[in-house]
Amino acid sequence: MPALELERIRRTYGGVVAVEDVSITVSRGEFLTLLGPSGSGKTTTLRLIGGFERPDAGAISINGERVDHLPPYARDTATIFQSGALFPHMTVAENVAYGLRMRGVAPAEMAARIKRALDIVRLTGFEDRYPAQLSGGQKQRVALARSLAVRPAILLFDEPLSALDLSLRLQLRGEIKRLHDELGFTAIYVTHDQGEAMAMSSRVAVMNKGKIAQIDTPTRLFHEPASEFVFTFIGESCCLPVKANGAKICDVAGTAIDLRLTRKLKAGDWRLYVRPSRLKIGKQAEKCDNRITAEIAFTEFLGDFWRHHLKAGALELFCDYTGPENFKPGQKAPVGWNNADMSVFQ
Amino acid sequence: MPDTAAPRSAGLEPALIKALTAAFTVFIVAYIMVPILVTLIMSFNDAAQIRFPIKTWSLVWYRDFFGSSQFTGALANSLEIAIGTTLFSATSGILAAWAFERYVFPFKNFFYLIIMLPLFMPGVVLGLGVAIAFGGIEIFGFQLYGSRLLVMIAHSLWAMPLVFMLMEATFRTIDHRTVEASYDLGARPLRTFIEVVVPSVSTGIVSSALFAFVISLNEFVMALFLTDRDTQTLPVLMWLSLRSAGTPRLAVAAVILACAVFLCLTVIMLWYIRQLKKTSR
Amino acid sequence: MTAATLADDVYAAAARRARRTEKLMPFALMSPALVIAIVFFGIPTLLMLRMSFNEHVPQRLYVPGFTFSHYAQLLSEERFVTAIWTTVKLSLLASCATVLIGYGFAMLVWLKPARWRLAFIGLALTPLLISEISIIFGWWMFFPKNGLLSYALLSVGLISDKISLMYTEFAAFVGLVYITLPFCFFILLSIFDAIDKRLIEASGDLGARPFTTFYEILLPLTRTGILVAFAQSFIWAMGTYATPSALGPDTLWTIGYLIQEQMMGKSNWPLASAFSMILVVLVAVVILFVRSLNTERTRFHA
Repeated sequence: MPALELERIRRTYGGVVAVEDVSITVSRGEFLTLLGPSGSGKTTTLRLIGGFERPDAGAISINGERVDHLPPYARDTATIFQSGALFPHMTVAENVAYGLRMRGVAPAEMAARIKRALDIVRLTGFEDRYPAQLSGGQKQRVALARSLAVRPAILLFDEPLSALDLSLRLQLRGEIKRLHDELGFTAIYVTHDQGEAMAMSSRVAVMNKGKIAQIDTPTRLFHEPASEFVFTFIGESCCLPVKANGAKICDVAGTAIDLRLTRKLKAGDWRLYVRPSRLKIGKQAEKCDNRITAEIAFTEFLGDFWRHHLKAGALELFCDYTGPENFKPGQKAPVGWNNADMSVFQ
Repeated sequence: MPDTAAPRSAGLEPALIKALTAAFTVFIVAYIMVPILVTLIMSFNDAAQIRFPIKTWSLVWYRDFFGSSQFTGALANSLEIAIGTTLFSATSGILAAWAFERYVFPFKNFFYLIIMLPLFMPGVVLGLGVAIAFGGIEIFGFQLYGSRLLVMIAHSLWAMPLVFMLMEATFRTIDHRTVEASYDLGARPLRTFIEVVVPSVSTGIVSSALFAFVISLNEFVMALFLTDRDTQTLPVLMWLSLRSAGTPRLAVAAVILACAVFLCLTVIMLWYIRQLKKTSR
Repeated sequence: MTAATLADDVYAAAARRARRTEKLMPFALMSPALVIAIVFFGIPTLLMLRMSFNEHVPQRLYVPGFTFSHYAQLLSEERFVTAIWTTVKLSLLASCATVLIGYGFAMLVWLKPARWRLAFIGLALTPLLISEISIIFGWWMFFPKNGLLSYALLSVGLISDKISLMYTEFAAFVGLVYITLPFCFFILLSIFDAIDKRLIEASGDLGARPFTTFYEILLPLTRTGILVAFAQSFIWAMGTYATPSALGPDTLWTIGYLIQEQMMGKSNWPLASAFSMILVVLVAVVILFVRSLNTERTRFHA
């Protein structure tokens, strides 16, 4: 029996469709991330699962039972909110105890579960502190402990790390992953940060404009994107908009460009995509299937590599380079890539 | 080419402004404090008449006040009515404010107007209205006119909108995610309201309740219309005594009334300080 | 009917029930407040309106009937017309003074550093926390021949004989301004708080002297606020009756005083109601005016 099943969920606000025809099946112990830009419907979907909103159409089932008419306090879910949403007038221990109190857990067992929850998130000894005395990262850990303590069927994460600074984000990301590996809970995680999504999840559902573009494992998403949207959303890519006319290739305005393609394109407007890491510049470009001569506009030093930004007429691209050659702005250089690394969309 | 005009001086303005500010401050402080200080001073006067300068100081009029059953009775009435007003207006105001903050429903502006309108009406109008509408009504032999209950409700016409307005602003400062978190962890709406919402706004509740208390305690126009000799409040008695018996006893009454109010304020301050200590160590 | 559709129906019904309670909840919560407002204010006001058209004979409070005679009396009898006019005039004057003083006070508090603010706000709150009757009494001991004013001026040597300003229009004016000042102050303070102080700095930085900054920057930005404060003060001044009648001359009649006189003294409920309705209408007009100003202001600032 799947832990969570969404069947053709639909939710509209006023005239705007927030979520359209969304169907997902999540097995027990899975870590599924809803990934997408703002307005894609990922947060709405999460809130529908949690019970904070009701779907206009479709069914939501948790462990086989229909729940879409139930309010949040009747569903076996626990949410970790972006700001933590800790109760400011209660201590850490009281916050963690809250859900247990609502479930009528006996005091002795409650104390044990609170202790275990705080131990798991590594906040032992913080029982009597108030939220105002905690740092951002500590607040999120208390929020985690509070939700873990009630042992819900599904844990819902509403962009819990977005409000934290980078190092804290990476640290907590690792912690959440560790907790998942250790405890094996079912999780639905919402984020707009694809690095987070790829690092933590067993599967990722990429959403766009209320619909699911693709649900797959992170590797399959990266290497086998099903649509142009997924391709551009996951990882970085260079876009070359061109017009094909038999053997000639020119840019969208009609100007001819020095682009040699071994792959045949039908006549019409195309968008060529290549990841910057797969673009070869200089001598290495000469061995590639496709080549373009471009001029270096400017270069960024990104620590492990140089990122050269190039222009070829109206086309702009950038490639990552670690090699020995020293390219300067204004210099012309050949850039090449292989057919296996290119995706084309019309 | 740099500006070669003569160097600018600050001119008279800063000094003038400073003088004006100082003078204005003195004026404001004096203006507001005059009736208060005068009353306070006069209450310790020994003489039977109101006149300056004060020749001897004593507490004789305080003793007189507490010895007069008429005045102490009026004080008791005032307190009783104020407590009743606070209960009515706090309950109705808080619940209504929560409805506005948390829920979406049609004609919100219309309901807002209905609830707030009495606050802007003069006391005469409200008092007259209640007197005309309920003056002759008897419920199970209990005559409404002259009853403390009616005055409590009349006072609530001012107190309830005030509580509503203050609580609406206070509720807006709640992090709604904590309410959702509470639902999420299994608490039903009533439980959530009691356990999560009320503690977060406890200062707001205490402040608005005490404002309601103060309004009722001080109010005298509606009370004038709606009370009789047995139930008259202290302000009403003071007004009626003004032309006939203007003695320092009235000054004492005013001081006592003000003391009740400042006692309330002290309670608010202490509560507020206690809350502050709790949430930011 | 298959099991699936039966289950669907059950869930649909439950969902409908849940939605219905959610829809009714806010009305349930608002009901006590609405009861108070409608039953004890709305209905009485309507009754008062009806009462104002009743007839009156000297022995009874009122006689059911329908007549415009009271309104006619209001608008024709000299005493009453003077009263209405006096009330309006006094309220306008008092409101002007209140706004002037309140504006200065609010600007003062706004510009001063934070530690002064609390003290000044406490000061501004004080008249609100003290009963109107106590305030009247305080001024009652200040203005007369044997009051503090006379004593102070005498001891300083500014006058040679005891002076009484009691029962003068000036005393009534002073009292009225005192009562309406706190509300005006708080309204204007919130207007000032909404202004970014850096605008003052920018103005100075660009070369404007203080008075110019005031005239060109502060005044335009606070203009609607001033109107709102004025309207509110006017409403309040129109409504109070105790202060003017206690501190002012016996010839100073206000609408409020006349209402009380007709209600308690002459037991003429219909006439008292008619006066009341005039007051209600005036207040309503001013409220609508203020609301329209407020919506205009948010349009300008948002």
